[in-house]
Amino acid sequence: MRPEAGEILDRSADQLLGQLAPRLGESFAQGTAALLALLMKFSAREYERGAEIRARENAELRMLFARFSPALSDTDLARRLDALARTTEDSLAISALDAANKVLRRALIELHARVEEQGDLEAERAIWHVLRAMADRRAVALF
Amino acid sequence: MSDTLSGRLAAYLAGTLGAPDLSVHDLGRIPGGASRETYRFRARYTAEGRTVERKLILRRDPPASLIETERSTEFRAYQAFYRLGLPVPEPIALEQGVGVLERPFFIMAEVENAQAGSILAPDPYGPHREKVGRQFWNILGRIAHADPHAVGLGDIDGPTSPAHCWKHEVERWERVIDEDEDEPQPIARAAIRWLKRNPPPPAQKIAVVHGDYRSGNFLHDSDGVILAVLDWEMAHLGDPLEDLAWALDPLWAHHDPSRPAGTLPREDAISLWEEASGMKADRAALRWWEVFASLKGCAIWISAAREYATGRNDDPVNAFSGWYCLAFHNKVLADRLGAGP
Repeated sequence: MRPEAGEILDRSADQLLGQLAPRLGESFAQGTAALLALLMKFSAREYERGAEIRARENAELRMLFARFSPALSDTDLARRLDALARTTEDSLAISALDAANKVLRRALIELHARVEEQGDLEAERAIWHVLRAMADRRAVALF
Repeated sequence: MSDTLSGRLAAYLAGTLGAPDLSVHDLGRIPGGASRETYRFRARYTAEGRTVERKLILRRDPPASLIETERSTEFRAYQAFYRLGLPVPEPIALEQGVGVLERPFFIMAEVENAQAGSILAPDPYGPHREKVGRQFWNILGRIAHADPHAVGLGDIDGPTSPAHCWKHEVERWERVIDEDEDEPQPIARAAIRWLKRNPPPPAQKIAVVHGDYRSGNFLHDSDGVILAVLDWEMAHLGDPLEDLAWALDPLWAHHDPSRPAGTLPREDAISLWEEASGMKADRAALRWWEVFASLKGCAIWISAAREYATGRNDDPVNAFSGWYCLAFHNKVLADRLGAGP
């Protein structure tokens, strides 16, 4: 058994906050140390969930594109979305998932704007459903 | 660095205040946000044969500023509302050149024995919550009530007419997102489109908008008396509902969203603002400005994330803002706009 990165970050944050920060004289230094500890806590949780969040988000966006690209009047956009819907993850490294996510998000913005123009309420509802799920999953708990 | 800074600061103030023997003591950095470096110090000098000691605050631009703001506007806003009798620190000096302290800065009086309520604290004002709240919403109403021309701020950045307030602000923050966005922001972009499709009615008047009036940006004493409203760096002219909506934003009250800014119930807060401002807060218009407030938040946090990611400003406040605050406002916007047509 060995400590995982998330556990190391989490416990180091506790030590920084509880043992080291109070020994720093200046209020600026104490405040900075406390904030660094909080960021380490966030990072510990992200270590556990980061790949899952991104992979799931990418999958949901591809499903949206597959579902709604056929009804688009903009054939160029429809073709690009259809191609994106068929992509898969090359790697589960965070950087690779993020790179794919950027491409998919950019396409989502185009799709969303277009279905608003077309007045396609079903597609709007489906997109907002995914956007809300994305926001929920990426929300960061303070404590 | 502090010693060097002390010496240069002393030389500058000696000239500015006409006190050749002025010396600077106990210069130390204090928390003050990522958009300005904040230092506390004491200036000691002789005036009319007596030794004077003043406790002062230095606010200096960081190497890279989070939001490009007009510091002369900020300083003039302090001057205007100090003269008007609102609780703001006395402004002392403004230096826009880079020759004195490498970056522009201004100096103001320190507000002693005061504390700021953290937005992370579950109950930032403790037993004084109601008392602080009554003052907080009243002061915001008084800022809205002030005549920009009468207080000397009629020429600061703002819209051309009451009907253009909303557009001026949406375009301003859309530009910030365009310039600073690293990863595409589908929720913020959807919010921008919604704001443009559903414009609010014209502003009741063009007022001075503080721009960042919220919990954490004012100081109060141990009896719950508000001593100073701070951080006027985003002050501009606009619709006074913009400030009200920003102060009502759930980010400043995430432990209890029913009490905006950690103070009073929402409707009580709005009533106090209406009483002090002499205006009615049209609820439909206010909803628009609340959506805008969260979009503006996204823009600020996107900038913060970029500052940190590019290494231009490694203040951890930027990392926190670009992570926690951006995720928070994305969720607020998704919940507000995505609840269904």
